[in-house]
Amino acid sequence: MLSTREIKQRIRSITSIKQITRAMEMVAASRLKRVESRVIASRTYTGKMHQVLSRLISCRPPEESHPLLTDKEHKSGNVKIVLITGDKGLCGAYNNNIIKKVVEFIQVHANKNVKLILVGKKGNVYFSKGNYASAKERYIPEPVEKFGYDKVQALAAQLIDGYEKGEFGELHIFFTKFHTVMQSFAMGIRLLPLEKDTFDSKGKLVGEYIIEPSVDQILEHLFPKYIETQIYQCILESLTSEFAARRVAMIAATENAGEMIDELTHTYNKARQEAITKELLEVISGAEALVR
Amino acid sequence: MAKTFNFEIVTPVRVVYNGVVQGISADGTEGSFGVLADHAPMITELKTGIIMVEDSSGKTMHFAAEGGFLEVVANNVVVLTDTCIKEGEVDIEKARAEKDAAEKALAKVGSAEEKERAQAALKRANTWLKLANVH
Repeated sequence: MLSTREIKQRIRSITSIKQITRAMEMVAASRLKRVESRVIASRTYTGKMHQVLSRLISCRPPEESHPLLTDKEHKSGNVKIVLITGDKGLCGAYNNNIIKKVVEFIQVHANKNVKLILVGKKGNVYFSKGNYASAKERYIPEPVEKFGYDKVQALAAQLIDGYEKGEFGELHIFFTKFHTVMQSFAMGIRLLPLEKDTFDSKGKLVGEYIIEPSVDQILEHLFPKYIETQIYQCILESLTSEFAARRVAMIAATENAGEMIDELTHTYNKARQEAITKELLEVISGAEALVR
Repeated sequence: MAKTFNFEIVTPVRVVYNGVVQGISADGTEGSFGVLADHAPMITELKTGIIMVEDSSGKTMHFAAEGGFLEVVANNVVVLTDTCIKEGEVDIEKARAEKDAAEKALAKVGSAEEKERAQAALKRANTWLKLANVH
């Protein structure tokens, strides 16, 4: 049994932990709000871009395949992955979930040469040592929160270039899709070559399409833009999910600290009561001894 | 009353305009063009320039868009562009400063890529200034 003083000290330290977690929760909440509106705005753009691209692709004669649409899978066993994790922990299973997905992917595609481009410190920490360190290609040390559109453009240009040169046959991106504050999904999607099914079903048009200057010329500009917006969208989605996850984790931590404080206060009161009873007994028995 | 159609300008950051309009005109890479209701389906690339919009009440509005794409499908017209601002939103000081910076960058000897970027920045700043002066 702890002494009353020790219990009091513990209560004090847990109270300050509670204050910290509450502050972190509020910081995450305000950041979440900011980034959430961005993710929603950018979803509209990405969605429209997808529609335009799919209609454009449906206009092309299928036999003439565009280099970015054809399957190079068989030519090159190299697979490139862009992995987006957080820079910090204390956000529940957020980082673990997405890393687990990537590890699963590497295990399933053991016959291929999977290389990772890491965005986010946590991913870098995980893939810098251990069994999968060989998969790491490079780490982009830019904080995820500051990963602006210009950086995405540079990255996308590099990736498209590498793909066109045949350095790798597939490009995937692993990120965490934001759904609600309580729910987000760690997932990977294939960016290159484009998943044809996601384009075929939608947006088939009847009738003539006027295309200026020409399908291929527009594709040449629209395509890199599409990849850019996809990567940018994934980063925003991940960032939003991270803040949401951190907020949830910190709410839980604050609640747990509160419960612990209640419990400790209870023990403290019990210990105090016991000490008083003991003292009283001593005084009374001492007094009785004197009377005799 | 003239026939109307839906018109949207979308950037990665926000939806700049979403409404019912009578007509628009914009600068395509192949030249200026106009779109009225019941236009045939079309996809085209835009130059950095001003998009003029006549809304359902006949009021005209101007937007400065930095390149992008325009799509017409069944009376829904969408413009996808990197940046777009509405008239009245132009920060003239900032546009001037950007213009100066771009001109300086152009005057310097740099790689073709740098030149290209400066050219684009100059064009954008000029379009902004033009937008600020249209009304």
